[in-house]
Amino acid sequence: MVTPVIRTVDLRSDTVTKPTESMRSAMANAEVDDDVLGSDPTAVLLEREVAEIAGKEAAMFVPSGTMGNLISVLVHCDERGSEVILGDDSHIHIYENGGVSSLGGVHPRTVKNEGDGTMEISSIEAAVRSPKGDLHYPVTKLICLENTQANCGGRCLPIEYIDKVGELAKKHGLKLHIDGARIFNASVALGVPVKRIVQAADSVSICLSKGIGAPVGSVIVGSRKFITKARWLRKTLGGGMRQIGVLCAAALVALRENVAKLEDDHKKAKILAEGLNRIERLKVNVAAVETNIIYVDLPEDPKFGAEDACKSLEVLGVLVIPQTTFRIRIVLHHQISDSDLEYVLSCFEKLSSSVPEEKV
Amino acid sequence: MVMRIVDLRSDTVTRPTNAMREAMASAEVDDDVLGYDPTARRLEEEMAKMMGKEAALFVPSGTMGNLICVMVHCDVRGSEVILGDTCHIHVYENGGISTIGGVHPKTIRNEEDGTMDLGAIEEAIRDPKGSTFYPSTRLICLENTHANSGGRCLSADYTDRVGEIAKRHGLKLHIDGARIFNASVALGVPVHRLVTAADSVSVCLSKGLGAPIGSVIVGSQSFIEKAKTLRKTLGGGMRQIGVLCAAALVALQENLPKLQSDHKKTKLLAEGLNKMKGIRVNVAAMETNMIFMDMEDGSRLTAEKLRKSLTEHGILVIPENSSRIRMVIHHQITASDVHYTLSCLQQAVQTIQESCQN
Repeated sequence: MVTPVIRTVDLRSDTVTKPTESMRSAMANAEVDDDVLGSDPTAVLLEREVAEIAGKEAAMFVPSGTMGNLISVLVHCDERGSEVILGDDSHIHIYENGGVSSLGGVHPRTVKNEGDGTMEISSIEAAVRSPKGDLHYPVTKLICLENTQANCGGRCLPIEYIDKVGELAKKHGLKLHIDGARIFNASVALGVPVKRIVQAADSVSICLSKGIGAPVGSVIVGSRKFITKARWLRKTLGGGMRQIGVLCAAALVALRENVAKLEDDHKKAKILAEGLNRIERLKVNVAAVETNIIYVDLPEDPKFGAEDACKSLEVLGVLVIPQTTFRIRIVLHHQISDSDLEYVLSCFEKLSSSVPEEKV
Repeated sequence: MVMRIVDLRSDTVTRPTNAMREAMASAEVDDDVLGYDPTARRLEEEMAKMMGKEAALFVPSGTMGNLICVMVHCDVRGSEVILGDTCHIHVYENGGISTIGGVHPKTIRNEEDGTMDLGAIEEAIRDPKGSTFYPSTRLICLENTHANSGGRCLSADYTDRVGEIAKRHGLKLHIDGARIFNASVALGVPVHRLVTAADSVSVCLSKGLGAPIGSVIVGSQSFIEKAKTLRKTLGGGMRQIGVLCAAALVALQENLPKLQSDHKKTKLLAEGLNKMKGIRVNVAAMETNMIFMDMEDGSRLTAEKLRKSLTEHGILVIPENSSRIRMVIHHQITASDVHYTLSCLQQAVQTIQESCQN
């Protein structure tokens, strides 16, 4: 029997956020110009604002976080035979189609991501190619961190850790890039301004279309020189868009109105995590839920895995993503209400009671 | 002092109209990466239909449109693409097909009318028997209208002939149709007829049609599926793009019919310019919305001097070289702007020539 869907609660990602009324109004009234032939005035405003927030010299709007990371890696690794050190569970390595290699010719050297999203400092150091110029080795140019680290559950990298990695990078003449898709979440959770978190970084990629809810885009930040090179590469990749003020206007609203709401998303995530963990047969590492991402573990029953669970939940209108065979991912955002949480919990309860018992 | 601005640098400078702004504000949207954006889908379905192809995909720019198409067709290492030596892909796209895509270009001379000699194209195709030394030709690219030739139209007949060559040699045909609608209007040929022979086309929304952002590529279902992955890889996978697609749908509805008028204004401007002493315009060659204005030898006019003088009157143009200026007409240029441009230019020409005499 199919339960009629009376509501949809989309927890697949914080990218599903739709533009708010104030964003729509801002988009309609945005002052625009050709950002390729010259510069779009609203884009300039946004870029200035984000550069200021991140404490860097300059910034540039890009269509996506993937392009933000791709450009950053390629600009830092502009020499043939470059290598980048990054986490084996990082977004760049897992979910960006291997673009740094297939498009950029950059070789990845992965280091294990620990449960908390960090990589062991000594392991990073061991991965740096030495001596430089060895006939067998590419040249290490860059270290990438991800904050918050998504695959580890939206974990925040502590500032002291980032600073230490920065020192390591400097010691070996390397650059440091931070995939800060959810850097605002980290900032709010840690109670530390973004610019302090990313102080040690040469570049950061920051998403506008995730938790802060703008419809499209990311911004990369760095030195003026870096951004000048980045602009050229953005054009080459095909990211040179014309009257982008339309999109940047929405982003300015997002920065103004939605950064403050992230704290709420984290609170809801904690409430949901605790509630889910209390449901029989479900397990959530509540202490590890630091921001807006939750992993729910199912019993390892081959007859009912995460995919089956997601399908069952979909029938009830709850959209989540199977992360691994027995793990479900849930992402909170500002368009999820308290009543949505209650509904989700009740759906998971229904799910748990319908999970088939071990057949004899 | 509020100066009147007449921006003739490109048809990309068009700003969204009120109808577009309204459409953007009220657009139905969703996450086009996790699933699909409903307004994007509507636009893509409409474009595929107009172009007579199976499927379509919204992309952030014409550069990405062309890059994706070349790379999808040339997906084998050691591929080569045949294209015009003054075509946009080769001259203005940062060599991306090579630096990003690893594809080798083989250029053929573009004739004045934007075509490439058919014999020369065929000769440029690599003999598979020479494979120890040769890359493997996979693709031919045409550009319609051809910008660097002055917005010249390639006929359906010529395009079909190139298509036949491609088929005969097992190659694909891609058309950089940034301004394909201008060609369609100027030739009086439906756009799907112009691209029948093509395996893929890249069509700009942000040029003459006046949408704020984007292009659409069209092709077969399987081509577009591969294109979608490559779009994501390049970083063109954007989320709630319905905002932008809504404006594009308005553009198709409202501005497509205006292209004819752009061509008329272009002819008017071209004829007026050609009458000026020291200026030469090949009026017959101005088929769509672009003008190349040449300074005659001995006229003492230079592109830079004229550009500077025009800027002082709020008229923006782009010098192509030291004695050539490019002007592009679009729907936000009025007939009065055309007359204003002519009178300012006449003034500028006289001033420069008189000052040189002293």
